[in-house]
Amino acid sequence: MTGTVGADEAVRRRYDVVVVGGGWAGSLLAKDLGERGWQVLVLEAGNGGAETWPGYLDSLSTFYSAVAKVPNSGYRRSVAAPFPDVLDLAPVRDPEPGEREYTANGYFVQNGRLPYGTDYLRELGGAAMHWLGAVPRMHPEDFATNERFGYGRDWPITAADLQPWYARAEFEIGVAGDAQGQRELGVVTDPDYVFPMHQIPASWIDRYCTGLDGTPILDEVADEQYPLKVHSLPQARNSTPNPDYRPGPYRPSSAVGLPNYGERCVGNASCVPICPVQAKSHPLRQQARFPRTVTTATRCVVTRVRLAGPTMGGRVSGVEFRAYTDPASPVGRSYVVEAGVVVLAAHAIENARLLLFSGLANGSDQVGRNLMDHPTVLNWALADERRGPVGPFRGPGHTSGWEVFRFGEGRRRRAPFRIEIGNWGWGWATGAPMSNVATALGVGGDRQGEIRPDGVFGPELRRLLGSTIGRQLQLQIAVEQSANPGNRVTLDRRHRDATGNLRPVLTYDLDPHTRSGVYAARLVAARIFQRLDATDWTNHAPRDGVPPLGHFTHTVDGTTLDLAYSGAGHGAGTHVMGSSPRDSVVDAFQRTWEHPNLYAVGCGSMPSIGTSNPTLTMLALALRSAEQIHQDLVLDRRPADVRPADEAEVPA
Amino acid sequence: MRTALALEKAGFAVPDTLEKLRTCLQAALEVEHLTIPVYLTGMYTIRAGTNSAAFYGIRAVVMEEMLHMTLVANLLNAVGGAPVVDSRVVAEYPARLPFSGESVPSIGLQHFSPAALKTFLRIEQPRSMTPPTAPGGGWTSIGQFYDAVREGLEHLVRTLGHDRVFTGGPERQIGPEDFYNSGGEVFPVEDLAGALLAIETVTEQGEGVHDTIWNSNETFGEERELAHWFRFNEIFTGRSYGPHDRPRDRPSGPLIDVDWDGAHPIHGDSKVADYRVYERTSAVYQQAVAFNSRYAVLLRYLDSAFNGHPRHLAPAVPTMLELRDRAAQLYRNPHPDPALAARGCFASATFEITDPQFDAADAEVARNLAAASLRTGEPVDLAGLASDSAEAFA
Repeated sequence: MTGTVGADEAVRRRYDVVVVGGGWAGSLLAKDLGERGWQVLVLEAGNGGAETWPGYLDSLSTFYSAVAKVPNSGYRRSVAAPFPDVLDLAPVRDPEPGEREYTANGYFVQNGRLPYGTDYLRELGGAAMHWLGAVPRMHPEDFATNERFGYGRDWPITAADLQPWYARAEFEIGVAGDAQGQRELGVVTDPDYVFPMHQIPASWIDRYCTGLDGTPILDEVADEQYPLKVHSLPQARNSTPNPDYRPGPYRPSSAVGLPNYGERCVGNASCVPICPVQAKSHPLRQQARFPRTVTTATRCVVTRVRLAGPTMGGRVSGVEFRAYTDPASPVGRSYVVEAGVVVLAAHAIENARLLLFSGLANGSDQVGRNLMDHPTVLNWALADERRGPVGPFRGPGHTSGWEVFRFGEGRRRRAPFRIEIGNWGWGWATGAPMSNVATALGVGGDRQGEIRPDGVFGPELRRLLGSTIGRQLQLQIAVEQSANPGNRVTLDRRHRDATGNLRPVLTYDLDPHTRSGVYAARLVAARIFQRLDATDWTNHAPRDGVPPLGHFTHTVDGTTLDLAYSGAGHGAGTHVMGSSPRDSVVDAFQRTWEHPNLYAVGCGSMPSIGTSNPTLTMLALALRSAEQIHQDLVLDRRPADVRPADEAEVPA
Repeated sequence: MRTALALEKAGFAVPDTLEKLRTCLQAALEVEHLTIPVYLTGMYTIRAGTNSAAFYGIRAVVMEEMLHMTLVANLLNAVGGAPVVDSRVVAEYPARLPFSGESVPSIGLQHFSPAALKTFLRIEQPRSMTPPTAPGGGWTSIGQFYDAVREGLEHLVRTLGHDRVFTGGPERQIGPEDFYNSGGEVFPVEDLAGALLAIETVTEQGEGVHDTIWNSNETFGEERELAHWFRFNEIFTGRSYGPHDRPRDRPSGPLIDVDWDGAHPIHGDSKVADYRVYERTSAVYQQAVAFNSRYAVLLRYLDSAFNGHPRHLAPAVPTMLELRDRAAQLYRNPHPDPALAARGCFASATFEITDPQFDAADAEVARNLAAASLRTGEPVDLAGLASDSAEAFA
């Protein structure tokens, strides 16, 4: 049972650790430290609710009734703790050459060449309340791209350092996967490891695509042939427990807030934003297991980290926060809470915002810089009609991928990419299947707004939808973006939210290496569609003068393509980890170099994100940090010197 | 329901041979199943978007009845029996509630309504609310029936010896790996302690732990919950139990939102033959036939799972989802009989599953079990499944 308290109760005591943010990283770290006996306070800026069953049902029905099924569509907007939404961006019709092709109208202020097309959520559970649940590990070579391939930033630690933490994170969040397949890729190195649960079964589309196994595909940018092989994706989703898992037996978690509900994935296909049976893992499960040592307070927006007095060696003393009662109102009241250790776990952009506003940890001038995401190029096609439907809109968003383009020497020529075989038809690319219904009915009209005469009804509508929806293939290809100090979060006193907090100002672009990755990915997808005898409908060119969001052109060897990318929700890099305080914000334990008791955890610490969805790596790092925080606290609290017991000492 | 009714007719007796014990457990399996179509009808007739507390309350009870069926099957397997899930398990509705005395009215399929909840309450009535019978009297309650099973089991263990009672192979036991363990947890029964825990779980989730309103789910590390009778009573009275309520108290907690108009009224005695009369004017007939055929398929998967193939529970899951989706359509249709439709009646599933349905299901079940990948310890893969009643969309 999850319990949250109000601000007045939260500030009654001093804590060992205050954690800013009740998302994945904060929840896992708080639970770990709480179980070791430390008094922990979790401050969540957003509202709670989904930890109760009526609240969860409310999120479900909010999603069901939303017109645009975007990741945040299950959750209500908030004035007191605003957050970005993918619907905040709009294209500019007939943009001037060289000018920006988009406008940004939400929480983010954007002034970059290209849009940062990603959202997050300020809500108990964080952005994990709308995540997909894809949890691949990073590959060893992802940690040292500069050394090996001459681009990006290298980590101060290696994949080997993280292996045990990966395994623990996979236990904590409950991962279903095929360890053997991941070993083939080189991302799991322990020869005996199995995931807690068997892999989520391959979708019908996965099987369709498996027909290409062994087929070589030319990537003309890398100038290399890559043989295809479909690999299963590890997912944080309940499946059949693996009896070989040690220590076993592993039991899948049931729903939070309603006993007797929630269990294994049955393919409801609405993982983003919300699983109706709670088969998808989320941080509220961790919170339901918080020991009594952990206190959680919602609707507490941390505004500043407080630096302790001049004799305290750069230590921080706690945080200021503003508590509100009504998310629709900017009215709140300020509090201060003190703690031995402060952990920022509020999302890469929010962590950077807090550090910048607090004026802390920025001797390297790297706070807010190196903002990354996985620019994702969408490719859509219709499968060969003679082979019948391929079965889209069943199962999780994707269950398998083509992984071969992620690794190897091709990375010198272009950014690597991971091809996700989409299970949700053209949903992401065109808004299918609703858009198909509208088109078939003639809804939307012609250019003059008149009803189109070619709309169909009755059996013909049924046949048309069956044929067009049932054959939809989509490859969403996540391209690695490497750290670039020019991509950054800054603050500007002119841009505030309704409560007076400074909004993030984003400057974002894709560098040529990343653009070449997007270019290569698009051509590879076209070749794959060709091999599948599918009709490629992908089109990233402006239509009627309106460019798609994320549109750019890129030229390789004299050939120019219209390209576009979407955001993947994988914000990273803004308080980058390194081996020296000169050029990084945190050390290998995510501790700020300048403030020994201030940690900034999350994807913001990652110097590179490879082509793996970053949550699992973030959680491995968070657990590793929790161990270090525990060690710090033990050192702080143990007497410096313990004399041997002798006659000189009087028993207490 | 045949075993249970025959046993009831034979009169109250504690089983004193292994064979009689196994017969009792087969009867128990049938009794546990008896309630499922009744509760499903109550749940399926709730109009979408209304009565969410009642919907999830009934659903939770159905989940536990499925757990009970599985635990009883484990128990029967443990004592060397072989559960049978075929036409003898299925009751004809309205059905007698066996082992409960002559005064209990027969149990029909009713839409979500006070009358339906009254029936549910009668089914789950705890022993403490049932007047005691004179010594040597007949059957009075399902709780009394399970007491007799427990007594017989303990007696047989004492007289025959533990190892001559628990002779079933462990490979026939269904464990949590194969059960989607919502609502208590399924566990293998291998000895007397396990057998007693299974009986305790089955009875206490229904009627509560001793003199409380709570069930025994804490045994499984889950939050404690109301036992079935009390959950139904909350819906019936429209009020939740308060923290200090005792079993005989009226619930004293906050009101819960129950809207008796948020239901599709049905004519619960409708049969497929009645629908057939209107075959030409309404697709309800075909849909009702298809529903029954899917239900037969579900029961045959259970039969296989309970007889040495625990992993055969996996294909039962999509079959249950198909039943759910078919129900969502079926109950929204007006009754095909214009006279009943004029009275506001909707169509309903008839749960008439007899030998012809089972015979038809067997071929499909055999084919699908061969096509799916269901080896113990390996990943489940149901991609090869194909339903005989699948409809082409395009």
